[in-house]
Amino acid sequence: MLVLSRKLDEDIRIGDQIIVRVLAVKDGQVKLGIEAPRSVQVLRGELVDQAQKENQAAARVDRSSAAAVAASLADLRTRGKGTTE
Amino acid sequence: MKWVSRQFGDLEYDENMVIHFAEGLFGFEQFRNYIIVHDVDSEPFRWLVSVENEGLSFPMLEPGMILPGYEGHVGNDKEIWVLAALKHDVEQSTVNLRSPIVIDRRSYEARQIILDDESLPFQFPLVPGGNGTKGR
Repeated sequence: MLVLSRKLDEDIRIGDQIIVRVLAVKDGQVKLGIEAPRSVQVLRGELVDQAQKENQAAARVDRSSAAAVAASLADLRTRGKGTTE
Repeated sequence: MKWVSRQFGDLEYDENMVIHFAEGLFGFEQFRNYIIVHDVDSEPFRWLVSVENEGLSFPMLEPGMILPGYEGHVGNDKEIWVLAALKHDVEQSTVNLRSPIVIDRRSYEARQIILDDESLPFQFPLVPGGNGTKGR
């Protein structure tokens, strides 16, 4: 990992299309301004971690569990408490 | 094309139907190509099945079934799916409304995005009263 210090209003450039600028520093919080091409997703790290965790949970689902859930859904729907409507 | 999936066995598919994720899915970045499999036993779920890793598949659902109007969060011109973390028990099962799969209907180019909307949970209960990070 590259570690470097920046002051208020200074920036770093990543490649020739991404700029990260320090906009404010207050009470242990740093406000950053990020310029990047639309094709680059700029995301908070903890959200990516959570998305990975959910994907892993979905990838663990086997066909028989899905069939069991599907049967329960159909059952709920016939009793008028389904997820549709 | 032929493919053997661990869950679905022998699959045949047309190369034109392959959905390409230039960046993969979160946590599965190395796998880029998928097909959608319709398994009648697990309707209404569909499966996003990797054609590069025989053990990789994700159940998914049309989000409108869970939250009418959901498409408005993403854009109506795209095909949208949400991945489902299904447990054997329907009440423990959740869908990920925060990071949907978005597919361009013409090019079949796809990506998984994270929506900038904190009201959409990563674990939304599949059924009313089920367990998730948000009650319904």
